[in-house]
Amino acid sequence: MLKRKISGWRIIEYSSTAIEIIGSIGIGLLAGGIILTLLGYNPFEGLSLLLFGGFGDIDYLLSRATFIMMTGLAFAIPMLSGFFNIGGEGQMYVGGLVSLLVAVYTGNGILALIVGGLAGALLGLAISALKVYRGVNEVITAIMLNWTFYYILIYLITSKFYDPLAPHESVKVPALARFGIIELGGSRIHIIFFISLALVLLAYYLLFFTKLGYEIRVAGLSPKTARYAGINPNRAILYSMFLGGLFAGFSGALNVLGFTYYIDNLLTCMHGIGFDGIGVALMGRNHPIGIIFSSIFFSMLILGGQTMQIVINAPKELADTLSGIIIIALALPYTYRMLISYIRTRRLVGKGVSSS
Amino acid sequence: MFQVADLLVMALTPMVPLLLGAVGEIITERSGVVNIGIEGIFLLSALTSAVVCFYTNNIVLALLVGLITGSLVGVLHGIISVYLRGDQIVSGVGLNLFAYGVGVITLITLWNTFGNSPPVKTVPKIIIARYPVSPLTFIAIIIAVLAWFFLFKTNAGLRLRACGEDPRAAEAMGVNIMRVRFLATILGATLAGLGGAYLSIDWVGQFTKEISAGRGFIALANVAFSNWNPLLAIIGAYIFGFFDALAIYLSITSTQPTLAYLFKVIPYLGTLAVVAIFVGRARIPAALGKPYIKE
Repeated sequence: MLKRKISGWRIIEYSSTAIEIIGSIGIGLLAGGIILTLLGYNPFEGLSLLLFGGFGDIDYLLSRATFIMMTGLAFAIPMLSGFFNIGGEGQMYVGGLVSLLVAVYTGNGILALIVGGLAGALLGLAISALKVYRGVNEVITAIMLNWTFYYILIYLITSKFYDPLAPHESVKVPALARFGIIELGGSRIHIIFFISLALVLLAYYLLFFTKLGYEIRVAGLSPKTARYAGINPNRAILYSMFLGGLFAGFSGALNVLGFTYYIDNLLTCMHGIGFDGIGVALMGRNHPIGIIFSSIFFSMLILGGQTMQIVINAPKELADTLSGIIIIALALPYTYRMLISYIRTRRLVGKGVSSS
Repeated sequence: MFQVADLLVMALTPMVPLLLGAVGEIITERSGVVNIGIEGIFLLSALTSAVVCFYTNNIVLALLVGLITGSLVGVLHGIISVYLRGDQIVSGVGLNLFAYGVGVITLITLWNTFGNSPPVKTVPKIIIARYPVSPLTFIAIIIAVLAWFFLFKTNAGLRLRACGEDPRAAEAMGVNIMRVRFLATILGATLAGLGGAYLSIDWVGQFTKEISAGRGFIALANVAFSNWNPLLAIIGAYIFGFFDALAIYLSITSTQPTLAYLFKVIPYLGTLAVVAIFVGRARIPAALGKPYIKE
């Protein structure tokens, strides 16, 4: 009896999650359609290109998903401990630059990946330490550091580490340190996608099968309970930001070591990927497995935007606008829950009336 | 010595959006609502003001449209955070992304450019010690003083602060929490809208896709620095504005062009340093960011 009741609740929870996600995407697409109409494009053509245009190049779709899968984890893991990491962007920049330099000076790709990740992790740790020990709002710290490292990277690439043959680009990752491409059933896929899948599974294991992950999740659900159970919620936050920064660092490192092989002097290869991760994490419900799927969805939107620009000449930034709207819509779980309970009550009332 | 004096006057220019954004946010946060979408409001209002100014050449109308843009965003954020009990931080992040996208789309659609609009007419300036200063600088300071008076010397201000400190007690006093929070969110966003309009049709003289460049978040830093007090926010805005002026001054006078990128770091690192040193004393409104649920 009790068991049936619990599984019933689970079904309600899953279905409300599904309704939230589908509802948010629906709101986003509706707004996208309105904007396209206002700009004078055929909304159906535009939206179908936006959604499915990205499938023309599966390899690019999955590579792009790789980067936001990592920045998605960078947002999701601190969120589980109750910490808002909006600094994935800066942590990713640092990871990208450090991995580039390590690759150039040592020629070792694996080492470069690990050190790049650790560089991001240290930055994440610094943000949470300022919050825990000095009470500085993490949103402010994170954004200030995003901009700081944005300009530091541009400065270093234009003045110190530029490629003499192509001054708008940094020095290149040496061939030996690069992560390459593998053939898979006739299509060529960048290896980094599989590395990132493995890293997501690692995150899943850490969060749900270790003491560390348990502490992070309990601290996020209720700091009071955590303290009662002998868990220090502040320490859980520090751990979660170390992990979050680590994955943001991996995003930059995988990008540089396995896809672009250099950083351009305007950072276009990385710009915005940290912020895309926020939408990815929210849609994936801060769960590593959910993030795999939501990263592919957002990658579809980003690439679809580019296809849309080429085919009907509509601005690709529509994808950014849409993800903004989807994120706003994802901030409203209470609304969807109210809607569901309203519909259920109506149905129950309807049944009651007809049976009596 | 002469240069220091120059800088002290120059700082009056970048301080305006930091002050207006912070004063607006103080009013909003004192009522218990967080809006981290100030950055997005800056962008959207800068955009609409620039568009109106470009097509009508009417400064007053352009400023007004910037204000209204802010109000409309405030209505949206207010509905989401007060009535729909949404996650206020997430909504703010979404708003910032949305604003960035809209900015670029508009640039492409109207002017077929990717980075900046054509130049537009700007607010006439007052000359102080050889430097042009906008009248909006003084209007912003007056607004800050009025906001302080409203929050701490009037009955309505007391009621607003009660919503952010102890909503249950405020409700017992007969305050309509939801309505006060909703109006405070709109008022705060409207002031931010004026700050955004200032960016494009007063300071820069055009719209660029990164015109706010993190200033919305520096305004948030100013809120914490000023301890949620509009009078202290004037000082905070001036200090943070000074970092901005210093960065601009150093890049203009520098002989090495690449160094300019390094100077651009100054406002952000400076803000962070000031906040990290001073913010320990800050006391956040007790019910900040928590949706109010009527019993």
